Amino acid sequence: MVTNKKDKEKMPSGVAVAGRAKKLLNLFSYQAVGTLLVFLALILVFIFFTPHHLFVDPRNIKALAKLTPDLGIVALGVGMLMISGEFDLSVSTVLPFSSYIFVLLLRAGINPVFSLFMAMGVGALLGLLNGLITVKGHIPSFIATLGTMMFWRGVLYVHSRMWPIGIRAYFPAGSSFEHVLIGEIGGVVPAQVIWFVVFALILGVVLHFHKFGNWVYATGDNKEAARAMGINTDRVKTICFMIVGTLSGFVGVMQLLRLGSFAATQGLGFELKAIAASVVGGTSLMGGIGSIAGIFWGALTIQILENGLILMRVPVFGISAFIGLAVILFVVLNTYMRRRMMMMR
Amino acid sequence: MVTNKLLKAGRDITSKSEPILELRGICKYFGGVHALEDVGLELYPDEILALVGDNGAGKSTLIKIIAGVYQPDKGEVLMEGKEIEIRSPRASMDLRIETVYQELALVDKLDVVENIFLGRPLTKFRWFVNRKRMVAETVDILKRLKISIPSLKEPVQNLSGGQRQALAVGRAIAWSGRIVILDEPTAALGVEETRKTLALIKQIKEQGASVIVISHNLRHIFEVSDRIIVLRGGRRVGSRIKSKTNIDEIVKLITGSL
Repeated sequence: MVTNKKDKEKMPSGVAVAGRAKKLLNLFSYQAVGTLLVFLALILVFIFFTPHHLFVDPRNIKALAKLTPDLGIVALGVGMLMISGEFDLSVSTVLPFSSYIFVLLLRAGINPVFSLFMAMGVGALLGLLNGLITVKGHIPSFIATLGTMMFWRGVLYVHSRMWPIGIRAYFPAGSSFEHVLIGEIGGVVPAQVIWFVVFALILGVVLHFHKFGNWVYATGDNKEAARAMGINTDRVKTICFMIVGTLSGFVGVMQLLRLGSFAATQGLGFELKAIAASVVGGTSLMGGIGSIAGIFWGALTIQILENGLILMRVPVFGISAFIGLAVILFVVLNTYMRRRMMMMR
Repeated sequence: MVTNKLLKAGRDITSKSEPILELRGICKYFGGVHALEDVGLELYPDEILALVGDNGAGKSTLIKIIAGVYQPDKGEVLMEGKEIEIRSPRASMDLRIETVYQELALVDKLDVVENIFLGRPLTKFRWFVNRKRMVAETVDILKRLKISIPSLKEPVQNLSGGQRQALAVGRAIAWSGRIVILDEPTAALGVEETRKTLALIKQIKEQGASVIVISHNLRHIFEVSDRIIVLRGGRRVGSRIKSKTNIDEIVKLITGSL
């Protein structure tokens, strides 16, 4: 399996160039192009049609920038898991559960940094459990995580009695820990945005350049083939579940700091919104297709859609209808574009 | 050249050269079904061994044991005389045994290069996929095996059946040093594609690897193989050197009318 130099020289140079181009394409995968276009169109619509052009008001943009990473970071994990062919509905429980663990540790006088890692660890553990139930029990993850979602939610509600717990009593305002998680860089860019981008970059590298990413795609597309070629598909899936759990744990704490108080209902509805964001970003529900760039834009799009509609004074309960409609339109568009791309080849 | 031929002839008759792979008394049960009952198999260096038998005779089960997909319930596996256990597909690959499954084990949405290196991409800095080297290797492999595929960037779902087959076989040849197993390599192929695939199989032997091939098509078997092992109802019912048998006899062994 070692190329000798002679053959390498004979290799058509076009292939190497194409390889490099593909790497770039991977980052801004063609599956994300449709999403990006609609994303830009949405922004234009909202700029012109929100009253007083509120959408581009710096205050709104800042609020959006603080809000979006919550869903976005969770969606990055959920999307990657979907590429491996599984779902995780339990994020909306893992998130407040980790947040609760963080508060409890904090209240017990434990260092916040350590508490954060513990919260993420608990998230990872719950993810591991989801993974094990799914792969060892040979049941669809949709069902497995539906079960764990309801189970942990019940545990959380009973144990916390659904009382909010303010963190200010245990946690001085303006600590460096808080600055790192939810501060503002130069008083302008919220730290959440940085975290979103950092996680996107890390997962992007893992998915598109690391060999693990290769296994994720193979596992999601054709599990039997992947297994026949020596990929431990169970392990790949379980690791993806753990990544989702870890990210949910992180977001749980990040959101907690922003809200200033633990709420048992943190992250409610994230499970489907994260899937919606992934799908809008071109991730296939069947597994094997998707990209981090797409999921990134997808999460932004969902959040901007929601925000814009609120600003346009669409009744809160009506927003869900629009998002639902948007998800369907996006998927139709993405599917159509993908087919066009196929034909153009 | 002459001595070489003589040696081969001698081995064919007496089977004195040591087998590269040997299975002894293999039993495999699925619940109450005896898929394999006391089956032996020996594969010699530089040999194309055909495994034939009717549906349900146990051919696929047998090769899946060699490929590490199944574990035998009884019996032993020897490689170059040493007893081994093949616990997983990965373990089999580590022994430099490559298997081409009937369903090819290609990942449709990944491209040609990614499929050739499926599960074991070349890396740089230990972890990162080294696409450039993989492309170079792929070009090299395809050229060496005279497989023409229009674009390496193409997801393999856009390739023809013959190209997909060639790709799966090519992958096995490229990776294997010792043993290549092919399950129904000519099923669902056109005439021209079949011809090419059979040529590829002969090429594996020229590269110095041994081959185990399963096929229902006895004409193809007789075209490429050196020796034929016949299974029936999970038992081995015969082993014939190709030059000393004919299709008729093999058919009779398969159907049990001998």
